[in-house]
Amino acid sequence: MVETGSICLFLSFVISVYTLFASLVGGKTRKREFTNSAENGALAVFILLTIASGSLIHALLTRDFSLKYVSSNISRDLPTLYSITAFWAGQAGSLLLWAWILSIYTALVVLLNRRKSRELMPYVLASLAAISSFFIYLVAFVESPFEKLPFAPDDGRGLNPLLQNPYMAIHPLTLYFGYVGVTVPFAFAMGALLSGRLGDEWIRNSRKWTILAWTFLGIGLLLGARWAYLELGWGGYWAWDPVENAAFMPWLTATAFLHSVMIQEKKGMLKKWNMALIIITFFLALFGTFITRSGIISSVHSFAQSNIGPFFLSFIGFILIFSFGMFTLRLDQLKSENRYDSILSRESAFLFNNLIFLAAAFSVFLGTIFPIVSEAIKGEKILVGPPYFNRVNVPMGLILILLMGIGPLISWRKASQENLMKNFLYPSILGILTAVVLFLVGIREAVALISFGLCAFVAATIFIEFYRGTKVRAKRGENYLLALYHLISRNRRRYGGYIVHVGVILIVIGITASSAFVTQKEATLKKGESISVNHYTLRFDELNQYTTEMKHVTAAKLSVFNSERSLGVIVPEKNVYKYEGNRDIDNETEVALRSTFKDDLYVILTNFDGNGTASFRVLINPMVSWIWAGGIVLALGAIVIMWPSARERREEAVVRYSVEISEEGTAKV
Amino acid sequence: MSRGKIKFIIAIAAIALTLAYLVYGGVKDTMVYYLTVEELKERIPSVYKEKVRVSGTVVPGSIKKDIDGNLEFKITDGDQSIDVRYKGIIPDVFRDGVQAVVEGTYTPENVFQAKILLAKCPTKYEPANPANKKEST
Repeated sequence: MVETGSICLFLSFVISVYTLFASLVGGKTRKREFTNSAENGALAVFILLTIASGSLIHALLTRDFSLKYVSSNISRDLPTLYSITAFWAGQAGSLLLWAWILSIYTALVVLLNRRKSRELMPYVLASLAAISSFFIYLVAFVESPFEKLPFAPDDGRGLNPLLQNPYMAIHPLTLYFGYVGVTVPFAFAMGALLSGRLGDEWIRNSRKWTILAWTFLGIGLLLGARWAYLELGWGGYWAWDPVENAAFMPWLTATAFLHSVMIQEKKGMLKKWNMALIIITFFLALFGTFITRSGIISSVHSFAQSNIGPFFLSFIGFILIFSFGMFTLRLDQLKSENRYDSILSRESAFLFNNLIFLAAAFSVFLGTIFPIVSEAIKGEKILVGPPYFNRVNVPMGLILILLMGIGPLISWRKASQENLMKNFLYPSILGILTAVVLFLVGIREAVALISFGLCAFVAATIFIEFYRGTKVRAKRGENYLLALYHLISRNRRRYGGYIVHVGVILIVIGITASSAFVTQKEATLKKGESISVNHYTLRFDELNQYTTEMKHVTAAKLSVFNSERSLGVIVPEKNVYKYEGNRDIDNETEVALRSTFKDDLYVILTNFDGNGTASFRVLINPMVSWIWAGGIVLALGAIVIMWPSARERREEAVVRYSVEISEEGTAKV
Repeated sequence: MSRGKIKFIIAIAAIALTLAYLVYGGVKDTMVYYLTVEELKERIPSVYKEKVRVSGTVVPGSIKKDIDGNLEFKITDGDQSIDVRYKGIIPDVFRDGVQAVVEGTYTPENVFQAKILLAKCPTKYEPANPANKKEST
């Protein structure tokens, strides 16, 4: 199986390079045979990489410790699920995953566009094949997961207990689908620049694929936050760590693109801007992969010191020079068809939205690379911590929420007073009212007041949109539920977008509440003693120690009361893993969490001694669950947007039909 | 139209200036020198007034922990070492011999009062190699 894997990697590299040249020739000469052959090449690469990935999974499952990758990432006592997820626990496996996911995307692009865009597609495929070739080269020749050890050890080093969490099975995968997904819109942009076909086709395709990648990135970020919250045991979910920032930056610029692309589609404006955004987004995705893989920026996640750094830097340099070079060559074809009429217009709301998203991405980028820059300039390594990121990003975030309420409702070109009154009067009143009421209730944190007020404002604008739309339909005799369903299904992009905005609002509410109003208490308790935090009382009942197949567990049992009413038992643990291997850590703190939409009771067993005394850290984090709920709503909204509508399917059928006719026509000639 | 254009330019300039202001202020108020143990010692006495972050290897056998969560240990760069005091959340990865990062202040009593304790950890993609790591931090 291992040989199969190596051979498949080698072959896929050869075919990927062939695909690159065949599609370039196909694009240049307009000869279908070359393009067809290139398309088959892309499919072959997908099949070969699937087999290679399969053989790595096989090696992990059969515990083939003769492989370096297997022996350094798993051990015999590891459950099956985590043996599979060890696929992406190490460097070589992660790179293989990158290449494999890219081949999946490439195959999809080929299959979905077989009979469309005959002039654009060869160049799109060439771009995808070029990027594929780079990654396959890395896995096949620089960091191969199929590297053998001189002799096989009896057992492996094992997987870090912190990674033995169900979220680790899904979070990296989702994030990678996001990172790699950004490649597809980039390839369409490059295809457009290379072929000179800078019309609607590429921008439509780029938008569709960006929504997909953006959704994966966003969900991946949230899953990562959830993992950190459950597993790292410090009570928070986001720390502005370089690894987190790495995924957050392309998400920011992709969000900017998803908005500005509407202006290009509707008004033919911002063409250069959109092109630049796609290139920047892809650059940030590569940069993110680079900093998480090369160890150039130190992080609490410790990185591999590996030799892929220089490869990556050269590749990123090449991509930047090539793409901006092509961009400059085609500049005159990217002229705007319209201009800005008024600062009070939808165009300018979108423009400001974009500027701020870009500014946020830039500030995060600067903060992330600050140690490198300061060392280069001043010879001293200077860090900027979470306070920097919060100070810069919170104000920008608040303005973005405001724009989220204004942008979708303000009129194109120039908003009249009538338009402003009709759409924004009630939401503004509601927003201000919310802030005032919260102030009277006793909330004094300015940021929280503004944030909640803005959230109420945006929520009201969205509600009015749904309400008006449904009412119009209902007047024509549909019942309200059906009217709502038709409203959404006939305007998927618009109303799906609103649903995404609702998700974002929920997330913002959760973040605001949980960062402004945390209560924290520490206590050392003997059996039977209690601690009260806010409205919760916790009684320490007993300390249990027992042994399972994998670990020695020390579990503290606490009864929770909410002013005398019993809420049940929670059990924070400290575990020591039996098999030490050579994994970095063998002990693990398991947080106990009791979660409601009002607040999370988060209990950590920090220490204990032989006579049954134990110390705890208790946190009350308000409204954290809103973040996860918001993530689900956001994903639903994204699905509504991406769901192919009946009209699109019809259009595609027509295109396909006409292409078939014209092909038959040319064949006869 | 030209008046409209000026409005746009003013608005964009306002955003740029605000960003510059936020970034500048943010960096100025939150920056932390990232030092090795040796560099920390070189900066005595000016270092007493600064907020700094120091990384080093936890000296095996130096960790003392009481039930209330007060933690004392030493970190070293292989040559010199400093005493660290800390109370707070201890990362699971923290133990003898790991690479630890502490943030706080170095007091004239030559004790490092740490507010933040980090240890190099989880998504560790490859086996740690202390020899290499020193260069990267």
